[in-house]
Amino acid sequence: MEYNSCFDIIGPIMVGPSSSHTAGAVTIGNFVYQILNGVPDRVEITFFGSFSQTYRGHGTDKAIIGGLLGMGTDDLRIKQALELAEEHGMKMMFRLEEECPYFDHPNTVLIRAEKGKESVVVGGVSLGGGLSKVFLIDEIQVDIPLNAPRSVVLHKGNLTRKIHFR
Amino acid sequence: MDFKSMAELLDHCERKKRSIAEVMLDVEASKTGRSKATIIEMMKQRLMKMKDAVDAGVSDRSTAPSGISGGDACLMGHYKDKGEYLSGSFIVDAMRFSFATSETNARMGVIVATPTAGAAGILPGCLFSLRENAGLSYEKLVMGLFTASALGYVIANRAFISGAAGGCQAEVGSATAMAAGAIVELKGGTPVQAVNATAIALKSMLGLVCDPVAGLVEVPCIKRNVIGTAIAFSAADIALAGITSRIPCDEVIAAMYEIGKKMPVTLRETSLGGLAMTPTGKEIKDRILKKESF
Repeated sequence: MEYNSCFDIIGPIMVGPSSSHTAGAVTIGNFVYQILNGVPDRVEITFFGSFSQTYRGHGTDKAIIGGLLGMGTDDLRIKQALELAEEHGMKMMFRLEEECPYFDHPNTVLIRAEKGKESVVVGGVSLGGGLSKVFLIDEIQVDIPLNAPRSVVLHKGNLTRKIHFR
Repeated sequence: MDFKSMAELLDHCERKKRSIAEVMLDVEASKTGRSKATIIEMMKQRLMKMKDAVDAGVSDRSTAPSGISGGDACLMGHYKDKGEYLSGSFIVDAMRFSFATSETNARMGVIVATPTAGAAGILPGCLFSLRENAGLSYEKLVMGLFTASALGYVIANRAFISGAAGGCQAEVGSATAMAAGAIVELKGGTPVQAVNATAIALKSMLGLVCDPVAGLVEVPCIKRNVIGTAIAFSAADIALAGITSRIPCDEVIAAMYEIGKKMPVTLRETSLGGLAMTPTGKEIKDRILKKESF
């Protein structure tokens, strides 16, 4: 059961136009923001499947970048996220691919993000209705639903970080 | 306590002598440990966001950034004011509020996904029409949202609710089915009647493909939302008349899943088929892609 709550069905409160391509994407971007504990300096975003076919019309690029800037799904600034990221000095690169090699779903994205000396690769999938999950962190397959606050402990080299994901 | 099928949901209702909305509230409370008052407050917050989207949309004549939608909620309003509509005030208002919400969504305004943003117009359209025409209180409408979420919860976990996964039948179809059941319960129908309305609405949406022009949630999505409200009210009336679905709701959902799985990828939100690939659909896409600022 992927959907666990009445609020997975009625919600999220979000800016349009698409729960899969906008809200779900904001949440994945925001997860990366929280892992890096701030706005990354440089990001490389690869869209797969339906994400790569229709990202422009749904503002999926703005949504992911909005999340990477720390915005939530109902933040009206998502519309201007690309401009705000440039003002912030974030270097952005987008790539479009057909099928995701890591996870079989039409709405998947891979985000490679750097902040200072830290970097992380996160694979996320938007399952529909604004519900997303993370299936990859660096080289490791994970399964982290992003529909409820939870704690994630990351061990990386000598680094251990506990994140209370909102 | 939980439920994985309409049969299980109805079983809970029957044994506890509770409505679908009350069962959903019980399940949410038992799973999260939150008080019912808190859960009701959270749902009310969503209802009020829906109201804001309707209020913003009914009088906004502006177009979406794409230039291909906007202003139809206003036209529907003028038409209603003339008083010569055919389908009755419940459906005319539901269509008007549905236009308003879906147009707000296309403008990148704030909406509530029900269950998705692409299908966000249907449930608010139906609920606020019930308020306008039958004087239902906000408290009642909140309970309608619990009914709808219970029905959507079963559909989402047994099949899918996004156009990319299962076509428009999964998206507008699910929302219409949820709204139909919610209307029945708000009109005092039984849980069994609500689930029948859900089955009847979903059956009439089976096979509907997801073929958005230029990949935007506008054409044909907005009008499919609007027509969805009319189907929801019709299915509710059918069920309230005591008419049942010959195919049980869980089997209808299973059929929706099977059909969605077989649907070609060109007809699942990739904009590579259907209306998206008509001469006009392609022309719109070319025109929009040329706009640098968009």
